[in-house]
Amino acid sequence: MQAMPAGSLVVLAVMLPVAAATLAPLLGARGAQRAIVLGLLPASLAVAAAIAAAVLRTGAAIPVHVGGWAPPLGIAFGADGLSAAFLLTGAVVMGATAIFAGRTGLGAAAGTGRAPLAFWTLLPALWAGVNLAFVANDLFSVFIALELLTFGAIPLVCLDGSRETLAAALRYLMFALLGSVLWLLGVALLHGTYGVLDLVLLRGAVRPDAATILAAVLMTVGLLAKAAVFPLHLWLPAAHAGAPAAVSAVLSALVVKAAFFLLVRLWFGTLPALLTPALAGLLAALGAAAILVGGVMALRQARLKLLVAYSTVAQLGYLLLMWPLVLATGPEGAGAWLGGVLQAVSHALAKAAMFLAAGLIAAALGDDRVAALGPAGRAVPLSVLAFALAGLSLMGIPPSGGFTAKWLLLGAAIETGQWWWALVVVGGGLLTGGYLYRVLSSAIGGEGEATAAVPLAPQAVALGLAVLSVGLGMLPLYSFGLVQVGRPGMAP
Amino acid sequence: MTAAQLLVVATPLAPLLLLAAGLPRATRRHLPALLWLAPLPGLAAALLAGGAPPLVLDPDRLRFTLALDAPAALLLGACALLWSAAGIHARAYLGTGPGAVRFAAWWLVTQSGSLGVFVAGDLIGFYLAFALVSLPAYGLIVHDGTPAARRAAAVTLLLAVLGEVALLLGFVLLADAVPGGSIAIADAVAALRGGKAPDLAIALLIAGFGLKAGLLPLHVWLPLAHPAAPMPASAVLSGAIVKAGIIGLLRVLPLDGSEAGWGAALAAIGFATAFWGVGCGITQRNPKTVLAYSTVSQMGLLAAALGLGMAAGEPGAALAIAFAALHHVLAKGALFLAVGVIAGLGGWRAMLLVLLPALVLALGFGGAPLTGGALAKAATKPLFGESLAATLAALSAAGSTLLMLHFTRRLAAGRGAGGVAPGLLLPWLLLAVAAMVLPWVLYPRLGLGDPLALPMPEALWPVLLGAALFAALRRWGARLPAVPEGDLLHPAERVLRATGGWGAGIARIEAALRVWPVAGMALLLLLLAVGATLTIGAR
Amino acid sequence: MTAPYALLAAALVGLGLHGVLAHAEPLRRLLAFNLLGSGVFLVFGVVARRGAAAGLEADPVPQAIVITGLVVAFAATTLAVALLLRLHGGDPPQD
Repeated sequence: MQAMPAGSLVVLAVMLPVAAATLAPLLGARGAQRAIVLGLLPASLAVAAAIAAAVLRTGAAIPVHVGGWAPPLGIAFGADGLSAAFLLTGAVVMGATAIFAGRTGLGAAAGTGRAPLAFWTLLPALWAGVNLAFVANDLFSVFIALELLTFGAIPLVCLDGSRETLAAALRYLMFALLGSVLWLLGVALLHGTYGVLDLVLLRGAVRPDAATILAAVLMTVGLLAKAAVFPLHLWLPAAHAGAPAAVSAVLSALVVKAAFFLLVRLWFGTLPALLTPALAGLLAALGAAAILVGGVMALRQARLKLLVAYSTVAQLGYLLLMWPLVLATGPEGAGAWLGGVLQAVSHALAKAAMFLAAGLIAAALGDDRVAALGPAGRAVPLSVLAFALAGLSLMGIPPSGGFTAKWLLLGAAIETGQWWWALVVVGGGLLTGGYLYRVLSSAIGGEGEATAAVPLAPQAVALGLAVLSVGLGMLPLYSFGLVQVGRPGMAP
Repeated sequence: MTAAQLLVVATPLAPLLLLAAGLPRATRRHLPALLWLAPLPGLAAALLAGGAPPLVLDPDRLRFTLALDAPAALLLGACALLWSAAGIHARAYLGTGPGAVRFAAWWLVTQSGSLGVFVAGDLIGFYLAFALVSLPAYGLIVHDGTPAARRAAAVTLLLAVLGEVALLLGFVLLADAVPGGSIAIADAVAALRGGKAPDLAIALLIAGFGLKAGLLPLHVWLPLAHPAAPMPASAVLSGAIVKAGIIGLLRVLPLDGSEAGWGAALAAIGFATAFWGVGCGITQRNPKTVLAYSTVSQMGLLAAALGLGMAAGEPGAALAIAFAALHHVLAKGALFLAVGVIAGLGGWRAMLLVLLPALVLALGFGGAPLTGGALAKAATKPLFGESLAATLAALSAAGSTLLMLHFTRRLAAGRGAGGVAPGLLLPWLLLAVAAMVLPWVLYPRLGLGDPLALPMPEALWPVLLGAALFAALRRWGARLPAVPEGDLLHPAERVLRATGGWGAGIARIEAALRVWPVAGMALLLLLLAVGATLTIGAR
Repeated sequence: MTAPYALLAAALVGLGLHGVLAHAEPLRRLLAFNLLGSGVFLVFGVVARRGAAAGLEADPVPQAIVITGLVVAFAATTLAVALLLRLHGGDPPQD
């Protein structure tokens, strides 16, 4: 209905990568790579920045009804401050990964045959999936986004066709499909109860009856499976560690975050009337378990990429601490909300940097055992620096985005008297410091020789992402006003 | 921004700027030779900018603050002088190879934090500076790459991170107590009692800063790290870096008598540390380890003075403690450098150039009259009062004399031959002279009194007692059991190793969950649990 | 009118879920997953029918979702079978 330019920007954010994914097979691997790095990347960055600017200028969410169909019939998109922040993060990480993959290829095993074309086709498809998840405003669009992510991610995991990655992909597929079908069943129940799929309309309509609660349970667990939340994280380490570095970066930084984003949308945007302190506590307890188990498992891994993958399991746990903290601080408590979002964004940047750096280190040494990282400090110093900076942000050493996020979460926990979540936050930081120390003490000043030269450009990409993650912490808090636009509880 | 404020801003930035300038390949090899320049803006700030109006960014909301009050200026000046002198020593000690450049990088980052803690006036800035002085010190300690250095560095890092955690929690509690959003330390400390769990906050802050200052039982990293590090790094570790803990305690503990109970507790911890350090130190043979234990003992004494000041409500205690700490920075830094110098000297040159000045400095720690240390003791003496505390302080001075005489003996045993580079000798002599002269210059200027009017015999008997004890130690010392470096650490490590099974247990749970039907069950249980939380707690 | 279908849908979902969660063999899980999917689609059918009975004429949304869902389920099954074939010998001819 309102064909205003801001609305078409939101549609463009999804359609640009869709167009790239559609055209990629026609262009071939090299052509698609060029089109994505030179065309899609700047265009998407510009679109995300423009959306953020529009949201910030108007101080309100941008509603879009695709094709002019008003709800309950049409497809609804929308971009609030949260969407804009994630769209920007997505564009930065995807763009950096694309540049990285263009400069390095995909590693020896995956660089042959049809793999490059598959990569350059599926990468924009994943990009479309995450962007759709960030702007979807009805349950059906969310389902499409989830499926785009599943079908984009799984072939990428087993790009090299080895037995281990095939098995990891199959396990990933099982969890992803289970998540999708649970979500769909929830959609059916909600549609049967209220006759609408639009998230805004649903928010006004929901009652705590049996069908609604059942739907909420199914959808929540479905998203938890896709977000790899403990104890449904078992597919993640093998899948993320087995994939080529560029793929791991996108999966860990963005794809699991999309599921987390939808969980935030579902509970704080659509079903706040159903949210109980008990559920918030359960989610945060799962997060705490993830922080502990992920951290301990990361400490015990012999291989660098598995260590980084388990670190993702742990860091995702922090995000779930948002629920009891936001719930307890109420509408005026912007700190916990910003802390959770900042944790997601700074983790996305830092983890992408870590996976890219880990891939480069493995490429330079021909070995990714943590114990054999000795020559890394001299062979690929920029990659080690990127890994270290990203790690410091994850650990929450100031000044970094991770520190600001943890400071806000800690502050909210203390303010609301939930000191046990504060202990979880700092305990997780200790475990992070532990596995970071294992890597860095092995990589700095050890013996041995590198086996291959690594060009400077991809190292600079990894370092750039790490610097961004650290740089987030240098901004004063009120410069994150964007994230608060459309925050549930603030605006009607 | 005034010129004085500019100096304050430049204090923590200068080392980082020098590092940035030294990163390009063309300038890299000059970096070690320029290390001594980096602390000079800090030294200038201490001389010229003390008491300048604080620089406040965002004054209405967050209040990021850079400020330099009189106690901090004393400490900053002493530490900057030590960093500069040790920088000259480092150039001569390490040469110019790639190892020296790497060392220089760690050196400058640590230095930025070490000087930054004295000028940071807000919680975030202070936490940042404190992290910078704590964590990169790892690179200084591990430099030699020996197994002992690696172990010392790892233990230091682990404890430093634990200290960071305690401080982070303490700072969050402080920040939460402030109405409005200010993060200025002064605002937070003033509002502390009104916040949640003020006692927990104080305990966490004392633990975090006490760890850095080497207070019992968190001192164990000190006697490991200071001997294992290269000579110039030991000097700054023991002289300058531990002072980050002292300034931290001075910043966050109220001296207005409002926390008298905590003051008494801190005094007890301080005295225990002071005697513990002497007891462990006299069994050591490595002169650097003896010095490290002496640092533990001296920091304990400063903490005891601070605690008594808190208990009695003495706002002037901060200046007195900073003055005593200034003497420790210079004297202890100098003595570590002396250990490096004497290895190249023998005969009368060793006697004249090293042992004699070292003996004067050593006796100063016991408060022997006419030394700089006598004035340090005199400045803090009013805090100890007349009763039990005064007796304990005098006994600890006797203990310090004993320990430092033991050090001088171990130092003399390290005499060598072959000559010594001027780059090693000069910084030592410079610092030794500074430690003897500067207290005499500053004492009257700070309004602490007339140094010549101090009662002499009263200060003499702890020194004589210490000398007598030293004679006894020479006679029967061989019967003492040798305490391993890091004393309490060894039993603690055994306990930790016993808990290592937890990790294996978690790994077993993870392996069990990975089998499909178990994973399926987990999902089913999760469905039920989410359902239960939604129905049982429904509003 | 819709009760038998609703019951059938519930039975299919229950059976499918049990099969997916309790079986270790991938092929069985895949079949169970398809059963589960059919149950969900049937739920949408019931929903549409109820909407029509309530006077909401020919609600197109459930139909659209079921058609999309069918395509997704088909694609997912294909992908899973392809992965299984590559994993357990019987490689399909390459290129």
